Formats: sequence, C-alpha cells, structure tokens
Amino acid sequence: MEILFRPEGIYLPAIDLWLDPRTPVECAWLSHAHSDHARGLHRTVIATKITAGIYRHRWPLPEGRQQEVLRLDPGQTLEFHGARLTALRAAHILGAAQLLIEYNGERTVYTGDIKLAAPICGWATEIVPCDRLIVESTFALPIYDFLPAAEAKRRIVRFASESIVAGLVPVFLGYGLGRGQEIVHTLTEAGLPCAVHGAIAGLIPYYEAEGISFTGWEPYQRRKDETRPLVVTPGLQDSLAAPPARVRVALVSGWAAVDSARARSGADVLIPYSDHAGFLELLSLIEQTGARRIDIVHGYAEPFARLLRHRGWDAVAAGASTAEVQV
Amino acid sequence: MNALAACAEAVAAAPGRNEKIARVAAYLATLSDEDLARAVLYLSGRAFPTSDRRKLSVGHATLREALVQVTGWDLEMIATCYREVGDTGETVALLVRRHTAGAEMTLAQAETLYHELEHARRTTQKVDLLANAFRTFDWLALKYFVKGITGNLRIGLQEKMVEEALAAATGLAGEAVRAANNRSGDLARVARAARSGTIGDIEAVLFHPLEFMLAKPLDAAEDLADPGEWWVEDKYDGIRAQAHIDAGRVRLFTRGLEETTAAFPEVILELAPLAGPLVLDGEILAWRDGRALAFSVLQQRIARKQVSARTMAAVPVIFLAYDLLLWAGQLQFAVPVEERRRRLEDLGLRHLAPQLRLQSHAEIEERFLAARDRGNEGLILKRAASLYESGKRGGNWLKVKRPYATLDVVVTAAEQGHGRRASVLSDLTFAVRSGDRFLNVGKAYSGLTDEEIRQLTALFRTATLERYGRVSLLRPEVVLEVAFDGVQKSPRHKSGYALRFPRIVRWRQDKRPVDCDTLERVCELYEASLR
Repeated sequence: MEILFRPEGIYLPAIDLWLDPRTPVECAWLSHAHSDHARGLHRTVIATKITAGIYRHRWPLPEGRQQEVLRLDPGQTLEFHGARLTALRAAHILGAAQLLIEYNGERTVYTGDIKLAAPICGWATEIVPCDRLIVESTFALPIYDFLPAAEAKRRIVRFASESIVAGLVPVFLGYGLGRGQEIVHTLTEAGLPCAVHGAIAGLIPYYEAEGISFTGWEPYQRRKDETRPLVVTPGLQDSLAAPPARVRVALVSGWAAVDSARARSGADVLIPYSDHAGFLELLSLIEQTGARRIDIVHGYAEPFARLLRHRGWDAVAAGASTAEVQV
Repeated sequence: MNALAACAEAVAAAPGRNEKIARVAAYLATLSDEDLARAVLYLSGRAFPTSDRRKLSVGHATLREALVQVTGWDLEMIATCYREVGDTGETVALLVRRHTAGAEMTLAQAETLYHELEHARRTTQKVDLLANAFRTFDWLALKYFVKGITGNLRIGLQEKMVEEALAAATGLAGEAVRAANNRSGDLARVARAARSGTIGDIEAVLFHPLEFMLAKPLDAAEDLADPGEWWVEDKYDGIRAQAHIDAGRVRLFTRGLEETTAAFPEVILELAPLAGPLVLDGEILAWRDGRALAFSVLQQRIARKQVSARTMAAVPVIFLAYDLLLWAGQLQFAVPVEERRRRLEDLGLRHLAPQLRLQSHAEIEERFLAARDRGNEGLILKRAASLYESGKRGGNWLKVKRPYATLDVVVTAAEQGHGRRASVLSDLTFAVRSGDRFLNVGKAYSGLTDEEIRQLTALFRTATLERYGRVSLLRPEVVLEVAFDGVQKSPRHKSGYALRFPRIVRWRQDKRPVDCDTLERVCELYEASLR
C-alpha cells in the first residue's frame, strides 16, 4: 500500500485517509488528542471515544458546521474504502490508539505516539503482528531511558512531601493534556490536596469519566499565601503566587532525562518520566510486531533508521521530522 | 566516588547557594582525611590541584574512542547523543549505563585512575584505561569521574563554595580556607591541613596565580568622605596582570588567572633580572614614547602563542607595576599600601605607575582629566594604610572612570539567561544600522530591571523570526541605549567591530530602529580611539 509522508501529515491515497493531519482534510484518523496530532476541522474524523471527546473540547464545532465522527474504540473494526481498520490500545495519554490497516492482504500499523507499559493514566500497548510499522522516534537515542510509572509516582509524591516539610511550595510543570492530569491524580491519590492551573483542570472531567479519581484539588488562583502543591503548564512558573525563594520546581518529562533540562525549564528537580517509549522499549516494541518494513516519523528518525538498517530492518526516516512534539 | 556523585546530584537540584554549600559540607564531614582531600578537588571539577602542573591530556577524542569500544555505538551515534546532552561526562554515563558491571568506585580508586591516565603516554593506553573503567564502575560515579577530566561539574558549585563547605565541615572560618587555597592553589592540601589544624602553616607558592584585589566604582567625587586619606594613580587601559619572578624565571597571569607568559616575551626579558621570589601586580600595556597606546592597539598582541619580531616591533609592550604581592619570598597581603609602595620603588623597576597623595575633592576631577589626556582610562584611589585584599572588591580601592560613549542600538537576537533568568530572554545581541541593514556590534547581559526583561521577553516572543535552541533571531524592533568602554575590531560580528564591556543604560521606547546609530558612527569612534 502506498504511504505518502507529507509536511501536512501521513496520507494513504488508496483509501483516501490521513493519519494525524496538521491541516483540515476530508477524512482523518486521530491517534490521540494532543494538539500536534488532533487539530483542525476535518470533514470526517475517526478516533476512540475518549480522543474524540477531548478533540471536540479543544476544537469546538462552529455554528452551522457539520462533521462526521466515526467512533473506533480498541478492538473495534471499521470497513473503510476497501480497507479494514482496527483500533488498538496505545500506551500514551488517555484514549490513545494505534491503527491497524489491512489492505490487499498487507497489514500496516500506525502507532501514533506510544510506549509499551501502561502510563499513570491510560492503558498498556496492545501489540499485533504486522508487515509494516509506522512508528514515532521522539526519544529514540540510547541515552533515553525512563522511570516506570510506579517509580515516577513515588518520586512525584516524595518531591511534594519533602518540599512541604521544608516549608517550600512544590510546583510541577506538566503539559495541559496528559502529564498535568497524571500529576494531579498522583498527588490527590496520595492525599495531597493541590491547586491546578486552568489548562490542566479543564480536562480533568474526561479522566473522571474513565473512572480515574481526582479528589481534593482546586483551581489555581493567584494567592500570595499559597502553600499547596501547584500543578501548572511550563513557562508559567514566573508568574506564580508564591515568592520565588519559597518555590521548588519539578519537571516531569522525558526531556528531564538530561541535566540541561534544568536550565531550559527552570526546574530544580528532574523526574525523567515520559509517555513516549525510551530507547530499549521502542526497540522491543518494533521487534514484537515482527514488521520488516519500518517507517520512522518525528524525533530522531535519521539516526534511528540508520541503526535499524544496521540491524537488518528495512527502515526509512519518513518525511519531515520537524513536527513539534508535546510531552 | 558513588557518594560524591549522589552529593553532586543533590547539589544540582538544590535551589540556592547556601543549600548547595550545606549539602556539600554534610557530605565532606563524613569523609576520612585522605578522602576529604580527594573530594574537595573532584567537587571543584579538577583531577589535580590548581598549582599542580600535571595535565591529564585526555581529550574528547580519547573519551569517544573508549565509548565506542564499550558501547559498540559508532561515532555518529555518539556525536548525536552528545549534541542532545551537551556534557561529556553525562553522555558517557547515560551511554555506559547498560554496559557496566556497576561496581562501586572509591575516591582512592578515582585518584589512582586519574594518576594512571596522566602517567600513560600513548593514547591507546589512555583509551584502554578509560574503557576498562567504563565497563567496571557505577554509571553515576563515572559521570562525575569524567566531569573531573573535562573540568566542569555543571552543578552550580564554584570552587569558592567548595571552600566554604570545607570550612563548615572542619569548623574553620571560610576566610581562612579561602586564603590558604589562594596562597597554595592546592585545595587538597588545605583540606588535610584543615583537619590537622595546621592551615596557618600553608605558605604562598610561586608561579601559581593569586587572586587580584579589585576596585569599586566611585560615582561622584563628593562621595569620598575624606579625600586626604587616599593615594591616587592613573587607571590604565591594558591587561591587568600578575608577574611571578624567581631566579630568572618569569610567568604572567591575567585577571582570569590564566597564564599569558608566551604572548609577551619582551616583558619576560624586562622582568627576569629582578631578584625574586617576587610577585608584582600591574598592567601590560602597548607603550610608545612614554605613554600607553589604546587598548585596540594592544589587542593585536592578545591570545598569541607565538609572537613574531615584526609584531613585537609594531606593538611594543611593557609591564607597568603598581603593587606588590610577594616580596623576598613573603606574602605582602598584610603589609600597608605605603610599605608595599616603598618596597616596590626600591626594586628599581623600569616602569612603575606614578602615585600621589590626594588633597581635595576638586583634585579628583583635575587628575581624572589629566589621566584621560595621557590616554589612560581614569583613576584608581587606594586608601591610606589599607592592606592588599586578595580576591575582594571592598571599598579600599576605588576606580574613577566614565563611559566612553553611548550608542542607540537595535536588538537582533535574544537568548535565554541562566539560573533565575532561565525562562526569560535576557542575553541580548544588538546591532547598528548600515543603510537598510542591521549589523551586530555586541552582546549585553545587564542593565535592565526584571520587569523590563519580562516585558521585553513577551515582545521578543512575538518578534521571533527563527529559533536555534536557546537563541531567538528577532525582527529588529527594540531600541536600547548602551554604554561601553571602547570599540575594537572583531571578526565575530558582521559589522567588523565589537563594543567593549557594553551594558544597557535604558530601553529607548521613544526610538524606532531607523533612529538607531550607524556603522559610520562606530567607525568614527574606533578611529578616534587609535589617536
């Protein structure tokens, strides 16, 4: 099956389907709801129930506009323009899914953003055999290796507790969708009430709808006397309620795996935890699928493709690797 | 080394200077005398003491080769990883993580390994030693072991802070430890002496640079309470330098404590006959007909490892002495300025800065203008009876100088700052106008308030054309007034010139980029400085 890697997304001309297009198209598969994957008003959208819900929250339908939303949850199958589409669970953010495309006897899987083990909030990756795999490579260098979810949770709670004991206000930097809610869930589950920035708080209901508990948080208000842990989006720490001398900042991210993240983000403490696969995890995922042809999209596509070719795969760095990645 | 690495990681995450020092002190207090001596060196990012002439001679190529042998990754992959990480020790650690047996590395083992690396003459031997270590030891210990080779821990811990932590861990005054390290350039020896109560016995070591005494600016003559209590000298616009002299040997060190002996052979010849051991404080100056030439002339002699006879003839340099740090083998820090001056005068130096007793406030302006007439930068005032306060910018030396000029410039690039300014664009590159183009002439870091920086950061984000890592290239929109101390030729900037010591005077919100100063104006200032 012909697959075109274009700046505006991945396109399958035989069945007229786009995978995570960046501009509005006829028909789009949305692997998950991060805004670099689910964006724009396409005529038809195929996605899991959760992804479709958050996408709609972020891209409300203007008055009078029509959009067909085809719900495809993990395990469900859809006959589409002569192909058979099956959604598969992807370990990434809540609701993330891979897409298996069966066409003319060939099985292609598009992973979207992915890791193997279940994230703090979300499901574990389901692997199916395929011939061709389109996979991301955000952290596909041997320097990247991340904490398991349980250990990341332990460090989040420890950082918050130790800061509070030291009379400091713990501040967590996390993106608006995914990491932010995972931190709030982890803190509240450990009995630590926290204040949450609006961009993160606004999406908590989608998590609660999946049975994930969030008890004891409040929307973040600029109070000078804030003592509770704060969960905010990166870049916001400068306008915080508490005076800088009383604040300690943690970055929970894959980028926190290298020390220079401290200078880049302004964080004191680095917690290297990601919803993308680390290096070995990614290799393991690829091996398990049994695919011989690997197309590598955003991240370290070139060096990773070279490495896979050395090891006998038919691997190609596909298209533009300049996509912004939300972590 | 494992415990040192754990300490270093905690220091990196500790928010403030005091907390970092406290963590180091707590760690140092747990160590034996010998381990303490090793740890203070390694925490300062050194394998050997400063005054120790030994060099490891382990470069990046050697480290990469050892990494290739241990991990099996090719050089291209290692280079890619290094680009992401930005630090050699950390890259090594992250890459060997899955290839090492993870054995504990003691501080004594680290010391042995540093010595073996220094001792090994052939690169292949060095690679073998490193590869063996990479396969054996705990990756976090290796991270800091390798940082000791490359010379910078990058955890926000300066040697001064290690000195303070050592003092705290041994119950000594910070000043005593700092002074002993300044005298000897051997923090390991200071640590041992601190434990045995013999820190006062540590003597000054020749040919190891001592910290310079620095001057505070005097803004207005009237600020001086008692003008009769000061000595006055011209402030020279050259290279501040320290000359160490003994038995025909001379070495020169700059204010940054870097050696610069090789660049100035005629100064060496001039000073070598003096009876040492002696350490002089003074200025290297381009000199002709009894007066100093502009810094832009002297600049042609800087950073040269070898000097041709032609260059020496074109730009003759001298060492103009103005203070005395070590005399007859004795440190002069505790000797009053008058006695230091008398001894300095008795040395029979060829070039000695004239010194006079100040009489009145009015005389300051008079002498300032006279100094400027002689082509010098301004005045230095030394308080009567004051001591040489090595490494300090106290109030006992004052400098009188005035900005050379100011220019209105436009900001063309902005870079994220560090520490407190990590999330704002505070390091600014600026340009002057040449026709309809803007050509860079310098970079400034200071002068704006936090509030102004915040406002400008927001503005810069909207004016960003392209981003390269920490640097944003900007549409030329913001005009700043900058003060500076001179103009020099510079191959770094497109304009061909660089402003010396630029600092931002104010944000000219009243001016547009077309109103900013021109390249012609910069050329004029440069030409004027040569006269």
